This record gives sequence, structure tokens and C-alpha cells, in this order.
Amino acid sequence: MRPPTSPAARRGPGARPGLLALLAAAGLLAPAAAGARPAAPAPASPGAGERIYREGLLPSGRPVRGAREGGGGVEGALAACATCHRRSGLGSWEGQTVIPPILGRYLFRPGARNVDDLDLPHVQGYVARRGAYTDATLARAIREGKDREGRPLGYLMPRYALDDASMASLIAYLKQLGAAPEPGVTRDTLHFATIVTPDADPVARQGMLDVLRQFFHDKNAGYRGATPPMQSSRGIMYRVNRKWQLHVWELSGSPDSWEAQLHERLAAEPVLAVISGLGGRTWAPVHRFCERAALPCLLPNVDLPVVAEGDFYPVYFSKGVLLEAALLSRELAREQERAAVRRLVQVVRPGDVGEEAAAALAKAAPPGLASVTRTVGAGEPRAALAAALTGLGPGDAVVLWLRPGDVAALPADPGPVAAVYASGRMGGLERAPLPPAWRARARLAYPFDLPEERRVRMSFPLGWFQVRRLPVVAERVQTDTWLACAILSETLGHMLDSFVRDYLVERMEALLSHRLVNGYYPRLGLAPGQRFASKGGQVVRFAQGAGTRVVSEGGWAVP
Amino acid sequence: MSRSAHPLFFSALVAAALALPARAARGEDGAEPPCHHGGSQELKRARRSTADYVLPRVPLVRDDGKVVTLPEELDDGRPVVLDFVFTTCTTICPVMSRTFAQLQQALGRDRDRVHLVSISIDPEQDTPERLRAYGKRMGAGPQWRLYTGTVEASVAAQRAFDAWRGDKMDHTPATFLRAGPGRRWVRLDGFATAEELARELRELLAAR
Repeated sequence: MRPPTSPAARRGPGARPGLLALLAAAGLLAPAAAGARPAAPAPASPGAGERIYREGLLPSGRPVRGAREGGGGVEGALAACATCHRRSGLGSWEGQTVIPPILGRYLFRPGARNVDDLDLPHVQGYVARRGAYTDATLARAIREGKDREGRPLGYLMPRYALDDASMASLIAYLKQLGAAPEPGVTRDTLHFATIVTPDADPVARQGMLDVLRQFFHDKNAGYRGATPPMQSSRGIMYRVNRKWQLHVWELSGSPDSWEAQLHERLAAEPVLAVISGLGGRTWAPVHRFCERAALPCLLPNVDLPVVAEGDFYPVYFSKGVLLEAALLSRELAREQERAAVRRLVQVVRPGDVGEEAAAALAKAAPPGLASVTRTVGAGEPRAALAAALTGLGPGDAVVLWLRPGDVAALPADPGPVAAVYASGRMGGLERAPLPPAWRARARLAYPFDLPEERRVRMSFPLGWFQVRRLPVVAERVQTDTWLACAILSETLGHMLDSFVRDYLVERMEALLSHRLVNGYYPRLGLAPGQRFASKGGQVVRFAQGAGTRVVSEGGWAVP
Repeated sequence: MSRSAHPLFFSALVAAALALPARAARGEDGAEPPCHHGGSQELKRARRSTADYVLPRVPLVRDDGKVVTLPEELDDGRPVVLDFVFTTCTTICPVMSRTFAQLQQALGRDRDRVHLVSISIDPEQDTPERLRAYGKRMGAGPQWRLYTGTVEASVAAQRAFDAWRGDKMDHTPATFLRAGPGRRWVRLDGFATAEELARELRELLAAR
């Protein structure tokens, strides 16, 4: 909150009545207290303050309203403090625009001088050498856009119409926001958990844990004992050097017991965030737990993530098989124009993620297409698959949501069907063991960069594994695990000792799209509210009868 | 590609490959960040300049799903007011889009003669459906269209207007106006108000 640097650009005092008149005309100003009976001030409620802060809603349920100078009104969600200052209150920056932190500990104490305030980490946009706000001057800042010294705040900060009780609640909330110590953060250690569900693939599990443990080991190899927190008002920030500690939370039993297990683990081992992890058929209980516990759940290895608009804490690489379903739905619409596809026949294993993917594709399938889903029965795979694939004809498009074991056990020939599609993610991508006749016709949903496109980028993780002698047993899972760790490390490096859960997610939102080395993905990116870092994919076919060369049918697309 | 903000490097190679623009370290090498709280005052007042931009022939997808090309879409004879936004932006874009909405009102009946254009700088997220929802939320009338496309097309459009800053999170507010095909562009860097845009437009219309 800085005064205008150029006096010429300062707003003259004449603008003020104009703005007040504007606010009054818009019905934005609380009416002056009337009557002789002084109303007792309503007790400040941090809960009500939180609603104003996060959602832009007054205790009455009406939207908060504000106005920018010469820029008209904002209300509700767009007027919520969290929109710019973010949920953490630690602010943000975008391009040339820096939004300062507004936690009580930054507002209500005088700015730090060089070394006299060691427990106040520096945050972008916080300017030392400032006086402290009081409740009255902060209320004035929010209502009139004037800083501590009475100078105008920046243009982006609206002037808000808040009654006294709402203002008191908001200020009470700002005072408690970020005041509690953050779980999993000690003076010398950051604690992280990774979560493995009991139905996770055992080979991939080992591969993932190898990468995580190695990454944490490397991280701590550079740790040279506790360094005292230091900062300088010269703008040089010394980071506190902290060790990383990994907690592996292995779940057991049925999914409806996982949340209780996780709550127990978290209570016993407080952590700052969940990093990577491995799921099987469902991740929903883990997602729910993390959201309820306000625990970032960063980039787990899951085929079927939870798509929940509005959830804050779980962040995924992509929508997994649901993204494949969307890619195939587009492909089917094209195929319908090319050939006489009359029926969609999807093949799934009961209890695997293909069931949900098939349901999503059936729902998104182009109109005029009959749709049937066949489940592979128990018993010998070859016979079960043959049974699931009986009676197919020239009007059928077959979609295989099958794992490599089933793919290898397909009958020799798909028969006279119109088209064959398969999930690349489930079937093993370019290594899917399709029988030759299937392989010649199959098109795979491929929500990654092609092998030759990602080859150079892949030399980073593969070289990392090689140098550390880590066996590569599940390349994609291990690469995504390495990537998740690298992203975590990089994001933490930009947090300047403000190791706060919400801020970790916010910084990841802001920084992720800067990365150039993204393993299997051509690019990753998030933004406030975005929770799937890779949005697109392609549909590929095999280039030859053997080998792993695949060719993209229509290039990279976002369904 | 310096990384003054990074305490630890896995290796020089990785550090180089992962390099964030040096600007990510902004505020850590000067005594104070360059600007505060919605930017310094020079952001508040838009800076006016004029320029000739060459429009690349890239395909864009309009908010109704129709595939168009950038030059043809802008060369329909109407004066154009153009900006770059993305729908999940929380700071700059809502303000700029709010200004577009006010501009529609400020123009009165003249608004039917102009073309307001918002091009997404996060095209993979901003599908036509999301653009439509955003436009509705912001109060877009029929003369205000939003566009997406491939990442390459979006970057090409940003580069053409000298508005490419390397990443969507590094964008800066700017608005571009043009009286008609072949005419010079007026560029306003910063948060132009609806009144400023309306005045520019009226002058452009009067000069035609």
C-alpha cells in the first residue's frame, strides 16, 4: 500500500466528494446512525468476517459492494477480499501488479527494520518502514481507500461500503487469519505425507516411493544445520533452510474407512501438505479428506481424479481417464461423419476406473449413437474377453477401457467393426500389448506428449533416476512423482518462509505455468480455481506393426 | 535466465531448464517492489501510443464455437476495441472486462457500430463454453465477442500486439483501438477507463 509515486498522478481532493456521491447514489454507503439511542455495537464475529473476506457476502446474505475510482462497482464474489489478496491473505502478484499481504501481523505492526523483527517473513508487496494500522485507520482504508497516512491506495483496491458491525467482523477475521501456527512446520523441518491406497498397483507403488524417498534424501543432503531466520529491509531475503520429512500413509481396508484412517494419521503426524501418492479405483475419500482438513493434496498419481469445482486443496496433473473420455467423444463425432457408426460398445473391468470413464463417454457421446457397456466377467481372461466382445458388427465402435493384462488377452481379431479405440492411460500408452490385428486398427486416447516430442524433456527425470540408480519400473508414475517433487521444491523456494498451506496452493497456481521441463506433458498451468494442470491430449495410432512409434491423428487438442 | 530467487540448484543444467523469468525474483533485488497495491500510479492512468501491427493469419475459435481467422475477424469494417484476458484471472482481467461492459453502456446506440474483442491468453482452459459464461458474468452484449484457440495462436496474437509477456501470470493491462482495416492502432497501456475508451472511439469514428 504505497502512495502514488508521482505527485502529478495523484487524485486531487476534488475527486473525493464525487466518489462519495457516487457511492451514495449507488446506495453503497451505510446510512448514518439516526435517532438518539446509541445502538450497542454488534459483537465482532470472525466467522462473519471470513464470509465477507472469502465470498463477498454480508451477514445478511447480501453481496458486499464496493467501487473503484472511475471504474464503477464490484459486488459479491468479485468484491471478496480473497479475490486479490487470496485465501491466505498473503497477497499475490500478476505482471506488474503486486497485491500486498493483509494479515493482521502485517497490518497492525510497524514495518520491520533490518533485523529487529525476525519472526515476520518478508512477503512480496509488504513494505517495511511503515507505521502500523489501527482498527480505525484500517476501516478508513477499506471504506475510503486511504492508507495509514491518509494517502490514496492503488486503483485496484475498491472502496467498500461496510456497516460498523461487518467492518468489526472483517477486522477481527484479519487479526486471526494466519495467526495459528501451521501444522507440519517446525523450526528446522517441513513435514509432508504421501498417501497410498490399498488397491494401488504394487510395482508402481514401489517405484513412486523410491523416487519420493530419494528426492527427500537429496533435499536433506544439502541441509547444513539450522540457520537462523534472517531478513533485510534492503530487499535481500535469506531463507530459513529446512529439512524435509516424508510420512508414508498406507491405507488399508475399504474406501469408506479411509477418511477415518487419514484423520488419525494427520492427528499423529501433522503435515504441511500431501505430495504425490498413488491411487487405484477410487481417490474420492482422499480428496474429500484433504478438502475437509484444509490440507493441500498435490499432484497424486491417479487415473480417476475428483472433478469438484470450488474445492481448493486437491490439485491434479489432469482429469485422467475422464480427459480420455472427452477426447474420444470428439473422435467419435468425427468418426460418425466418416463412417456409419451406429453403436458405441465399451468394454470395462468391473470395479476398475474404466467404469466411470465409460459412463462419462456414454453421456458425452454424439447424439444418435446407441451405447452399451460390457463388463468382462470373472474367470480366465481370454474366454471372458471373447465373451464380452461377441456379436459385434460393422456399425460398432469398440472402446477398450482395459489394463495391459486384458489388452494382451484380447481375441486375435476385432472382427468387422467400424472403429477400435482404447484408453492409452490404462492400456500402457505406446507399449499397449495389443494383438496385431487390433493394433493395426486401434486409436489410443493419449493425454500426453508423443514419445519423440517429450524425449528431450524426459532426459531430465530419466537421467535423475539413472544417476541415483533408481530402477525404472513404472516410467510414467515415477516421472510424475519426480515432477511433483520438483514442483513442490520450486514452489517452496518462492514462499520466502511463509510456509502456509493455502499460500502453497496459491503460489503453485501462479508459478506452475513457468515450468519448461514437464516430463510427459507439453505444458502445465494453473490459475486461481484451476485444479487440472494439463488440459489436453491427442488421439494416436501405431505407425508400424511393431515398435512404439505412434502418430497423432489430429494433433494436440483440448476437448 | 538468472535465478537470483533460487536458494538451491539441483544442477546448473536443471536450473537453466527450469528457469523462471528473472522477473519472478522481482522485489527481492531492489529495496522495494516497483509498485504496490494495484500498481503504481502510472498504471492507473493509461499511457497512450499509436502503432502499426501486422495481424498474423491464425485461426481463433469464437465464443460461439465458430472458427475464424484473426485478420478477417478484425477487418469487418467496424472499429475494434481489443484486449487480452483469461477467465480465471482474479486481478487485472475482471477490471478490464468491467471496463468493456461500461464502455458498452457509455457508447449508447453507437455500440452497435463497434466490435469489442477479448482474446484469451489461457486458451486451453478457456473453452468457448467458459468464454460464454465469463462474457455473461461480465455483461457482454452482442458486439463484444471473446476468442480462444490453440496456445500457438493465442501467443501469435499476443506477439502481434506486443503484448506477449512470456506467461499469462505476467500479463499487464493494455487495450487496443482501431478505426478500421488498414488504420493505425491506438494503444493504451494501463487501466483505461470506459470514458477514455469511449472518447478515443468517438474520435476514431469521427475521423473516418
